[in-house]
Amino acid sequence: MRTSQGSKRQTLRQGVALMGLAMISAIPAFGQAQQVPIPEQPSTAPQIEILGTGVATLDLGRSRNSTPDGGKASGSQINISDSSLVVGAAQRLYKGGIGSLTVGGLALDQTNTGRGTQLFLHQAFADYQAQSLEAYIGRTDQPTAQIVTFPTLRGDDLVTFTNLLDPFSSGENVNEHRYSNVAAITLNQKLTTFENFHVQHLIESADTSRGPSTGTGLNSYGASIQHLGLPGLEAVEKYISYGAGYEHRSIGRTDGGSSEALYAGGVFNLKPSLVNLIDLRVLDNYTFGSNLRSFRGTPDTFRANANAITAAVRYLHSPFGKPAYQVSLTAGYKSYSRVSQAGSIGLALTGVKRLGDGFDVVAQYLYQHRGDALATAYGGAHEENAVQLGFVFNFDTLFNRSVGPRRSLLNLQHQYIPN
Amino acid sequence: MKPLRKKDKPQDVSRRQFMTGVAGAAGAGLLLGQAALPAWADGGSAPMDSPATPWLASFDADGTAPEYNPREMPKAGEVIHKFEMEVTIGIHEIVPGIKAHMFLFNGSYPGPTIRVQENEWVQIDLKNKSPENHTIHWHGMMLQNEMDGVPFGTQWPVFTGQGYRYLFRAQPAGTHFYHCHVMTTLHQQAGLVGALIVEAKEDIVKKTFPYTRDYTLLLSEIDTNWVNESLNEMVGMGMTMNAMNNDMKLMGEMNGRMMGWFQDKEAFLKSIKDGYTPAYMTSMVGPNRVITPNFFMINGKSYPMTDPLLIKKGENIRVRMIGGGMQPHYFHLHGHDFWHVCQDGAPLASPVRMNTIPIFPGTTSDIVIQGTNPGSWHFHDHSDLSTTNNGIHPGGMMTMLMYEDAEKYGVTFKDVIQTNS
Repeated sequence: MRTSQGSKRQTLRQGVALMGLAMISAIPAFGQAQQVPIPEQPSTAPQIEILGTGVATLDLGRSRNSTPDGGKASGSQINISDSSLVVGAAQRLYKGGIGSLTVGGLALDQTNTGRGTQLFLHQAFADYQAQSLEAYIGRTDQPTAQIVTFPTLRGDDLVTFTNLLDPFSSGENVNEHRYSNVAAITLNQKLTTFENFHVQHLIESADTSRGPSTGTGLNSYGASIQHLGLPGLEAVEKYISYGAGYEHRSIGRTDGGSSEALYAGGVFNLKPSLVNLIDLRVLDNYTFGSNLRSFRGTPDTFRANANAITAAVRYLHSPFGKPAYQVSLTAGYKSYSRVSQAGSIGLALTGVKRLGDGFDVVAQYLYQHRGDALATAYGGAHEENAVQLGFVFNFDTLFNRSVGPRRSLLNLQHQYIPN
Repeated sequence: MKPLRKKDKPQDVSRRQFMTGVAGAAGAGLLLGQAALPAWADGGSAPMDSPATPWLASFDADGTAPEYNPREMPKAGEVIHKFEMEVTIGIHEIVPGIKAHMFLFNGSYPGPTIRVQENEWVQIDLKNKSPENHTIHWHGMMLQNEMDGVPFGTQWPVFTGQGYRYLFRAQPAGTHFYHCHVMTTLHQQAGLVGALIVEAKEDIVKKTFPYTRDYTLLLSEIDTNWVNESLNEMVGMGMTMNAMNNDMKLMGEMNGRMMGWFQDKEAFLKSIKDGYTPAYMTSMVGPNRVITPNFFMINGKSYPMTDPLLIKKGENIRVRMIGGGMQPHYFHLHGHDFWHVCQDGAPLASPVRMNTIPIFPGTTSDIVIQGTNPGSWHFHDHSDLSTTNNGIHPGGMMTMLMYEDAEKYGVTFKDVIQTNS
């Protein structure tokens, strides 16, 4: 309805412009934005944030987390998946809260999408933050994927171990395990302990027993609790972050029935150091409640009861307090409680050499081994090896700076003020 | 307690005497003709230690030397004023609704005004209860080198939980100020600045313009976004350093290069050869982040929260203005001229009549306003950017000269507070 009204208004404006060519309008017709709730109020210039990540690698061999392709997955490729561009706008509200909008797209692996690289809308959400709570609605990171992130080259490397998998996904787009449509409210105590309560629409792309799904309804809900350490002190603190959560997924009975999930993890410094930091990341994803005892296809591997544990050890060398290089080993093990011969292990050995602020040359070796049942569900691929060499460029830049971070050291240590 | 050198100062000359002296000297010059010219003008050469000068007779070429030897220590019986200055991080409200985390001296911004008599001793115990390191520089004081408050120049910075005792004789007299000299761009803007008034034993200004009220206006600006961002970063770095200080293993990693500290130029150059990249390189800092002040303050407050200057008809008031920020300001008084009487603490050779006075960063200017025109008069920076709050006029560096007895002279209009135009 909004779009329709907007188009009508735009057409009308263009008509007026044609009739009165001699008049110069201050608002060009093509500049007409979508209608907003209070259109007569000019907008206050918001703070604009642009975040970009470019991940470009030459892959020798291939490690895939998604739908099998009959054993043709092996081969070399030039890979730009997981590259993303995100734009955010934020502003202070009358009573000190922060309102923001974030929109972003992420490049998919060509092998996931068939023909050509496609962009996946991974961020499109509106967010309200006040001192003691945050509420957000839209497409963004799955709340279950926020407890621990791992130091692999791409966020979807070893995703079957590191993420609570989307039981409604066909598996063609691995990012369906990472992002979903979420409505969430997060309460906090002193901005260090956070309780997240959410409902989700996990993206439904699988051809379920009810036929291909086009549903957009809520199919998951859950809660999590997380503790975050002081920002900026990650090199010298012992406990950086830790948390746990519960998730319920409403899966049809013929697809195994509803599934419950428990997950817990954290990031701990084994050797706090400004120069030679060694940290440990651990995450366990445990699902139960499904009746599946075998895999009819890849989607069943996302639904069946399983336990996945992932750990990563990272060494970061920062000779003058600035990162110079990083080496990490991430390892995952997954087993299915009711499906035999379906265990899997995954390894990622990742090296990063910093060439400039945010720009790195990277190398990664990826290995996955699947048991017979799982390999069959993945088109017979028991072993997968890949060597990836390339560059990563990360940037995060702010314009119209006017909104400071809510969880700043000053706010945490010296009384909160909205600024 | 012998003075290093007693000198004939302009302050010893009353205004009437001064005017007579000027006329007398000029007259003598005319009468003596060639004989009154300095040696260099006569083709001779002036000795190096006694430069020839064409200035007036009252000019003292040695006048910038301290009166007392700065390296002397207090002697029995001398007055020592003792103060404690504690640095913390707190919240300061500039105008209603605009609060900022700032460094505070004794919980206030600006810091407390220190007022002492000329040549008396001042002892300040600085205690640092903030996570960053600090010093205090006594701007305008002629003191011993070790008391000057320059980190790595005259002392080690005072780290968290540490203290430092400053001791100096208050010389010369006049309007001065103090500020932290660690990362001055941030620390001074973030709050560590205050007034230091050294009252002259013989106040030529008071003799000439007997004044009853004495105001101090410390002018400063803040880019609240930059200060917030930088202060967060510095506090994080400070807390990291403190954590390293308290951990034997981490202490071994302490390295001056992390903070950009080097023993000398050679050490700095060697570090670059070894792979160190200075923080100012574009590869480290990106495009220059311009500091753009959005609030402009008099004594820490922006209009309409600034305090007025009160006066009565026939009264003289002295106003000491301190350039305690990073931008020049041009203060204009409506409906009056005033006398510029002192600059950087020292009396001028002659008061200068003005209605707009520039106050540059690091300078102080004293003016005397005479109560000649009852009413309620604006006194503000005429660089109009500084009369805004977050870009909205009116605001910033504006205050009022208010006659307490204006009604008695038929002025009935009351100034109305305005927060946007």
